[in-house]
Amino acid sequence: MESRPTARILTYLVLLAFVGFLAIQFVRPAFTNPPVTAELQAPPEVKRVLRNSCYDCHSNQTQLLWFDRIQPAYWLVTKDVEEGRAHLNFSEIAKLPAAQQKGILYEALNQAQLGAMPLPRYTMLHPRARISDEDLAILKNYLHPPAPDPSPDPAIKAAADSQYDQWIHASQASLSVAPAPNGIAYFPGYRDWKVVSTTDRFDNHTLRIIFGNDVAARAISEHKINPWPQGTVFAKAAWTQQVDPDGNTRAGSFIQVEFMVKDSQKYASTGGWGYARWRGVDLKPYGKDAAFTNECVGCHNPVRRNDYVYTFPIGGQE
Amino acid sequence: MKSSIKALLLIVATSFGITGCESRTPEPASTNRPAALEGQLPYNPLAWKAITAWTNPRQGTMSTLYGNDTAVTHVRSGSADPYPRNSVLAVVTWAQREDPHWFGAKIPSHPQSVEFVTMPSTPEGQPVYARYQGSPLAQVQNMDTDTVRKNVASIVSERAAVMP
Ligand code: HEC
Ligand code: HEC
Repeated sequence: MESRPTARILTYLVLLAFVGFLAIQFVRPAFTNPPVTAELQAPPEVKRVLRNSCYDCHSNQTQLLWFDRIQPAYWLVTKDVEEGRAHLNFSEIAKLPAAQQKGILYEALNQAQLGAMPLPRYTMLHPRARISDEDLAILKNYLHPPAPDPSPDPAIKAAADSQYDQWIHASQASLSVAPAPNGIAYFPGYRDWKVVSTTDRFDNHTLRIIFGNDVAARAISEHKINPWPQGTVFAKAAWTQQVDPDGNTRAGSFIQVEFMVKDSQKYASTGGWGYARWRGVDLKPYGKDAAFTNECVGCHNPVRRNDYVYTFPIGGQE
Repeated sequence: MKSSIKALLLIVATSFGITGCESRTPEPASTNRPAALEGQLPYNPLAWKAITAWTNPRQGTMSTLYGNDTAVTHVRSGSADPYPRNSVLAVVTWAQREDPHWFGAKIPSHPQSVEFVTMPSTPEGQPVYARYQGSPLAQVQNMDTDTVRKNVASIVSERAAVMP
């Protein structure tokens, strides 16, 4: 006798859910494919890879499958497309300067190589969009074909020389540096920190030194680097690669120095790290407002399982 | 009935499991073990401050110039005078490898050499050059004086990278 009402309630609930399911099918946010205004210019095999794996969210040529059109999937998918297009849109990318486009493509390739893109929740239902090793090889070959050795450029050398003179003569006068738009103050002492690693970036022809403060150095010697302890600060300074007559490349003009400051409470909204960047010898804070950190977090996000840190620190500083 | 639901759940779970395994993940966090300096060195340059860095693309190596405090203070002042007494400079040269986390970057792999230049303690003295190579790093004996002179001249002539 007792199971009867339960069964009835269950039937009502199932019915209600079904009616609800039908009803939400009619609540549909507008979804359109805007015109393609400045599509990526790239060889067909490169476009094939991007079209197959990325265009559904990063172009104005989204192709929804039948099950993407069923609510609530439709909501989720259209939200991903909207956000995806806002971050990167292959249908409009060609209006950007060539160097910037190349930087974006390197980031795109690396997001794919690190398994962050296409979004795993998407490839689960769209397995054909998964990116294969061959796909990655096609993108790498396109971005970094074998090139002849670079030759010295007198203009780059002259710029570096004059910047050096400016720096040497300014270093006596104490430079007052404005804080970053998110309130982080400059760390003038970074140049005396331990070197954690160096990188030679052939994607943008820069050399970088990554410095770590004492907390970082201790964490490295104790092998406690994931997560990094509270109070860890990294600095990364970048210089243009200046080619010498003998073919070596050296740290040329200073471009920028950027920081990651670990404080899980204070910077909880950005994965526990505060981000800041200052550009040029006059150390101009980077970013119009505090939202500049979205850019940093977005690109460090694929290594979130490594506490958002890319660098493999060299041991033995202590 | 119940067991068929279980079977269904199992199928769903394993298919998700399989797709999960196929997805890429970044190489886990670790120290850069191959790049560590192993061997008997007179000083540990990694405990010092950085002066500048360079690469040799033909050899596929990258170098960092370090100095003790005396040397670093001097070179960052931009002074044209010779390095003061007891300055020590060290060049660590690593073979490069691709950064597993970033296509577009090369990072240090095995150390190729560590060179030290110690400034003399008297005005008449000459800088002393020592070179360590191999794994573990060991001092190279009987270097010809020409090479030594050339290497010292090039290391001493490096200026500091701009670090505002
Ligand atoms: C299902 C939709 C979807 C697909 C497919 C997809 N992305 Fe994304 N992508 C997003 C969303 C949403 C964001 C912004 C938020 C985020 O990073 O999760 C984004 C952000 C990005 C960013 C910028 C990251 C940042 O914030 O700086 C890059 C680069 C990127 N995607 C590359 C790719 C590449 C390359 C592919 C194909 C291999 C791809 N995406 C496929 C949805 C997608
Ligand atoms: C396009 C991708 C990208 C963006 C955007 C980015 N980073 Fe990074 N960052 C990297 C990579 C890759 C490394 C590893 C070192 C290298 O190769 O230069 C790195 C390293 C760092 C490091 C050294 C610690 C570590 O994680 O290895 C700091 C500090 C840092 N970034 C700060 C910032 C700040 C601050 C911003 C934003 C203003 C930012 N980054 C934006 C890709 C990015």
